[in-house]
Amino acid sequence: MSAAATSPKEPSVPRSGAGVRLCGLLAEFRDPDALREAARRVRAAGFSRWDCHSPFPIHGIDDAIGIRLTKLPIVVFFFGLMGCLTALLLQWWTNAAKPADYPMVPTFLQGYGFLISGKPFWSFQANIPVIFELTVLFSALCAGIGMLVANNLPWFSNPLFNSERFRRVTNDAFFIRVDSTDSKFHLQQTQGFLASLGAIAVERIEDTIPTPAETRLPGGLVKTGIVLACLGLIPLAFIAVARSNKSSSPRIHLIQDMDNQEKFKAQAAHPLFKDKRAMREPIAGAIARGDLREDDRFYRGYKMGVDPKTNQPAPVYFETFPAQVPVNEAFVQRGQQRFNIYCSPCHGVDGSGRGMVNQRALELGGGWVQAADLRDADRRSRPVGQLFNTITSGVRTMPPYGDQIGETDRWAIVAYVRALQKAEGAAIEELPEKERSALRKR
Amino acid sequence: MSFCFCLSLSLGGLFFTILQHLTRAGWSVVVRRVAENVAGVLPVLAVLSLPIVVAVAAGWPDSIKDVYEWRGFDPAAHVAEATPAATAHHLLLKKQAFLNPTFFTIRIAGYFIIWWWLVGFFRGNSIRQDETGDPGLTSAMQSRSALSMVLFALTTTFAAVDFLMTLDPLWFSTIFGVYFFSGGNVGFFSLLALTMCLLHRAGRAQKALSIEHFHDVGKLMFAFIVFWAYIGFSQYMLIWYANLPEETGWYLIRQEGSWKLMSLFLLLGHFVAPFLALVSRWPKRDPSTLIAAAAWMLLMHWFDMFWLVFPHAEQSVVSADPRLDTIHAAALVWTDGLQCVTCLLGVGGIFVWKMARNMASASLIPTRDPRLHESLAFENI
Repeated sequence: MSAAATSPKEPSVPRSGAGVRLCGLLAEFRDPDALREAARRVRAAGFSRWDCHSPFPIHGIDDAIGIRLTKLPIVVFFFGLMGCLTALLLQWWTNAAKPADYPMVPTFLQGYGFLISGKPFWSFQANIPVIFELTVLFSALCAGIGMLVANNLPWFSNPLFNSERFRRVTNDAFFIRVDSTDSKFHLQQTQGFLASLGAIAVERIEDTIPTPAETRLPGGLVKTGIVLACLGLIPLAFIAVARSNKSSSPRIHLIQDMDNQEKFKAQAAHPLFKDKRAMREPIAGAIARGDLREDDRFYRGYKMGVDPKTNQPAPVYFETFPAQVPVNEAFVQRGQQRFNIYCSPCHGVDGSGRGMVNQRALELGGGWVQAADLRDADRRSRPVGQLFNTITSGVRTMPPYGDQIGETDRWAIVAYVRALQKAEGAAIEELPEKERSALRKR
Repeated sequence: MSFCFCLSLSLGGLFFTILQHLTRAGWSVVVRRVAENVAGVLPVLAVLSLPIVVAVAAGWPDSIKDVYEWRGFDPAAHVAEATPAATAHHLLLKKQAFLNPTFFTIRIAGYFIIWWWLVGFFRGNSIRQDETGDPGLTSAMQSRSALSMVLFALTTTFAAVDFLMTLDPLWFSTIFGVYFFSGGNVGFFSLLALTMCLLHRAGRAQKALSIEHFHDVGKLMFAFIVFWAYIGFSQYMLIWYANLPEETGWYLIRQEGSWKLMSLFLLLGHFVAPFLALVSRWPKRDPSTLIAAAAWMLLMHWFDMFWLVFPHAEQSVVSADPRLDTIHAAALVWTDGLQCVTCLLGVGGIFVWKMARNMASASLIPTRDPRLHESLAFENI
């Protein structure tokens, strides 16, 4: 064995190529302890480009080689931070940023601003899961890719694999490799040095220098790559076609998502229930949120009382406006606007009952009841509550408007009707000075 | 509250012991005895639970009815309909099958019997092995560890529900048991790190305990800090998203007044600060830093318990006497707060005393565990 240790065996490398070049020296050691001791001395000798190879991790080998702790965690930490900020920015942009504030950004890059179950557009609680996921994703990708980069991986071929002896490295052999690029490397001296460390064998690691033809990419690889790239464009082409598709036939359901669900729709039949309806009645006495409407004056304009003549229950109308509505000029103007929209077609813009619909309906005949003149003595004497109730519930052929016009707006219309009544036959002295002078000029 | 604090620590110790057997862990043999000793306090904690259990069972003193609202529940009481009180009444009536003093007492007794048996089995066999060196004991413990883990998970979850969640009998959270468990493990690993470092400083187990073991316990502590935050946020997130009145109330009282600051402090002190402090490698390998971090986390775990228990105490004080305005009530709570510091000293003192006695009664490390050499040679890459 000593002969082998002193005179390195010629490697059986060169198979083809323009020649061989020396990559380094490989020394084999008998056991882990010998390897560790040798590593310590190689390090002490000042080599910097060298490594140990063993079939299993050896306790203390890190110290012997002098491997420093990796700096990767710090990089990973900052990538994690970056993931955190990316997630934050992404969610802010897609849901909380107002597109109107950023007109320079093209529409397809602007966010949506979805209102989800009444939460604020920008709520950190909802953001945290995504922040968490992206932080983990960025850190994990950074750690994985960083590990590869730091280890010079992937590395498809290594001249060490040319050595027959080295193949036992995953079984029972322990090696030290010294790179020829090391500044301290000198073939004979280093050979002697490694042998003096107790190596059972020292051999040269050589690599073939590839000919120009060998460095070229194989033609088949290039062709396959081009074909694959073309095939890869097909899905994109499909998407492009689909984006400009004007077809009215239903789309193809590749992924069923939530389009067709195992559920009954509101108006559908249901075999399970007695009344065969999918939609269930609310429990008796249940009231939707905000639908309690306890205030008689505001919501109905009357309360139930007793008629003194007949002793029967009868509505008692309120004489005054409820406290919830401010009866002022703006309010009456709102009432005028609503009146002109909802009431004037029949009652006329002046409330005289000569609206266009009324006139046409009278011409056609057929049971139409003349729309009331809202300014006659009868309507003037009615309490506001009764006018309100008429709008809400309708009367004779007039339909109920309670579902279309909100309470406040109905009260505004009542206020405007009162104003119309006052305006009909009002003396000029009753007008404010400003209005009077405006009239005189006319 | 201090009782729950110590209970969670001991359960953490029990969990760790069972887990080491379940996973056939080699590295942890030298620190396992400390965990066994922490878990060994459970019989004493059974005695310390008596004030709560007896008070609930006997309904005396009356203040227990403020603490556990369901204990003061009178099914025959008449309440006006369509009020929040009527809803509460109705729900409590439905929950009475579970929340009644008899069943409560039976359950608590059951938990402690199971824990007592688990501790007796794992700690007892471990100490027996010190004398006999019989490797069969290790495989016996290993073969029963899976079932023990299931028992542990069930009892811990239900104990958390019984002791802590029923403080607000109308509130419910299915993750609460895990929350209690995660916090308990933060506390336990802090205690473990603290004990190990202090033992090492005091010159004990010098050859057995090394920086490598500190590092691993530090890692576990860090992991459970993150796990605690994960579970805590999961609970919060779902309740926040669903926004159901019967669930949000629990968080609402923790978001108002001074509790808002305390909740934020809990978030910062129990997660953000220790996360940043312990995320690197070196703090876990430096005993002084590890001691400081462990002591801080123990404190924060205690504060977590305070945060779980006391908002309800404040609520019941206010509701018990409507004349008290919130400032007075808060002042009252702070005097109570002083009381609970003294409680911590009392219960914590008994806890440490029992733990120390456990330590004195057996070797500090399982000297004849078949995997001891593996643990001694343990090294972090």
